[in-house]
Amino acid sequence: MSGGLPCSAALVAAASGLSASPTGSTVIGMAVPGVPYNTLVVACGVAAVGCAAGVVGSLALLRKRPLVGDAAAHATLAGVAGAFLLTGRRDLVSLLTGALVAALVGLGALVLVRRVTRTRDDAATAIVIGGGFGLGIALVSGITARGIPGGGGLEHFLLGHAAALTADDARLLMAVSAAAIALVVFALKEFTLVAFDASFAAATGWPVVLLDQALVTLVAVMVVVGLPAAGAVLVTALIVIPPVAARQWTDRVGTLVALAGGWGAAAALAGVVVTSARPGLPTGPVIVLAAACFCLLSVVASPRRGWLGRTLRAAAERRAWAAGLLLDTCLRASERGDGTFTVADVTDGRTARAAWRTLEHEGLVERLHERTADGRVPRVAWRLSGRGLDRARQRRRRAADWAAAFDRAPAAARERFSLDLPECAIATDAGATRAT
Amino acid sequence: MTDSATPSAAGDRPVPLVEFHDVTVAYGRRPVLWNVDLVIDAPCLFGIIGPNGAGKSTLLKAALGLVPLVGGTVRFAGEPLARARHTIGYVPQRESVDWDFPVSAFDVVLMGTYGRLGWFRRPGPAERASARDCLARVGLADVADRQIGRLSGGQQQRVFLARALAQEAAIYLLDEPMAGVDARSQEQIFDVLASLRAAGRLVVVVHHDLRTAAEWFDRVALIDMRLVAAGPTATVLTPDNLRRTYSGQVELLREVGLAVAERGRTS
Repeated sequence: MSGGLPCSAALVAAASGLSASPTGSTVIGMAVPGVPYNTLVVACGVAAVGCAAGVVGSLALLRKRPLVGDAAAHATLAGVAGAFLLTGRRDLVSLLTGALVAALVGLGALVLVRRVTRTRDDAATAIVIGGGFGLGIALVSGITARGIPGGGGLEHFLLGHAAALTADDARLLMAVSAAAIALVVFALKEFTLVAFDASFAAATGWPVVLLDQALVTLVAVMVVVGLPAAGAVLVTALIVIPPVAARQWTDRVGTLVALAGGWGAAAALAGVVVTSARPGLPTGPVIVLAAACFCLLSVVASPRRGWLGRTLRAAAERRAWAAGLLLDTCLRASERGDGTFTVADVTDGRTARAAWRTLEHEGLVERLHERTADGRVPRVAWRLSGRGLDRARQRRRRAADWAAAFDRAPAAARERFSLDLPECAIATDAGATRAT
Repeated sequence: MTDSATPSAAGDRPVPLVEFHDVTVAYGRRPVLWNVDLVIDAPCLFGIIGPNGAGKSTLLKAALGLVPLVGGTVRFAGEPLARARHTIGYVPQRESVDWDFPVSAFDVVLMGTYGRLGWFRRPGPAERASARDCLARVGLADVADRQIGRLSGGQQQRVFLARALAQEAAIYLLDEPMAGVDARSQEQIFDVLASLRAAGRLVVVVHHDLRTAAEWFDRVALIDMRLVAAGPTATVLTPDNLRRTYSGQVELLREVGLAVAERGRTS
């Protein structure tokens, strides 16, 4: 936690720097010549939203409530349409206010459905998503079909259309995002405590319910300000995907929050850049695809938790075991006779043959040329090299130690066993990769 | 049924450290604890013993306000829970959290100091030093920076204990700290608990293993939904009381009865 704090503080500074509108925008406008000022401000606004969504989403993920945002998001469309019908205005503030009210109503409905009907979490979420979204689509298509003046463009809230944002809209998004990030950074200690161990938090007097409500409200707010860019259907992805990707790279909450914020911003920015080059494209899908690509990369290739790394490590560990076991077989074979053996004597199966190549490569076995008793058919005999003999005996001693420890105290020995790969498995320096 | 101290010379009783009065907890219509009356009035190692599902953990959770009471009261040194929270250290069951959570052993222990930090204040050098010290007391100084999922079961349990130590409490409530823990960790945990007792703290431990209970605890309460008996270990762990608590597990009872009898003779 502590290690990441400077990063998160830097994020806040960056985000609030972005939202300092009059001077900040001038600086941005001058920074990239040739790009329209408006586009730049919108890009910054959407990036700030992406960043804040990742930051808030990290907490939702840690609290194991990643789908809360989805329920809220699907309810927002009805709120947007409702606000338009009630006020007849279509400025971003009134539409998003409507969306926020609808999101909170949706979350309230989620709690009610769970409590009253005793439906499981996932089913309750599905009910709220379906109900809210159905209502929203019905309202929006009703408005479009009747051709109510000014009603065009509401469907942009379905998939996101960053190009429709004005510089003032973008400044609003930036301000809200900065506030959300600041709140998370400010209360990171409290949110982390509740996410890790809610009953300990409650036992030590923290208001767990209040903190959970604050978190859920923050998620709802981020969903709402994410609407113009990502749209109701896809805005959850902005909340869920960057934190999942970030989790692959770190074991610290502060770093997780900072990374998720950074990648959220990057994905959002990619969405704006691509769709400004191809105006027909909705922004939401592009943002989500960018985030998903990065997430996929993280899940596969991150060094510690990634699929690739885990698979390679597991294979290395298996090879180390096999080599160790084969070394012992060689030692036993050479003790039985004159110290020599053939490859066929000691290798049985594919694993053993692969392990044999390791021993050969490491110079733990050496080849002798010998003649069979009748002196005609040449037999290729092997023996352990000096180094191989040392290593094999050392390994045997260690294995015996492990076995003795296991007899004395099985639980303790097994615990050590599961934590550190037993050294008796490792025959070669090359294979001595430790699981970390 | 109370485990009361002898009245002082003046005739007025000292205020008990923990007082359960007619505590009743029900999940739906099923009672889990029924009119439990239990007074612990002096610092000691206190065991709460009973079969699975007897309501032992629920008793601790009720004391901490984690499950609602349908009846009764709990007081700590005469105060209600809300005023006494800062004096109570808590060690929940190890299974209650996700060990894949991105925090280190040190981070978890630091959480023990959050209660006295209050809202929005970050742990400073004093809290960090305290957390490091607590980790060292449970023998985990060298794995302080390890992500908690990469600790063994016994180490995880000791991290929880260290977090409770960092609370600097007067009363410690531990929920099955010895469950699924290797012998070495058990010894280390017991040593820490004994040192707390020596420092004048009350240590209340929910425990399921009768064999070690006789050896570890000064006083015990036998619980099976209702309080069966409470008091000094040797007088409470009688075959008769055990039979009433563990109706059915006869072989176990015989073994423990022998162990207790043995202890009675030697002491």
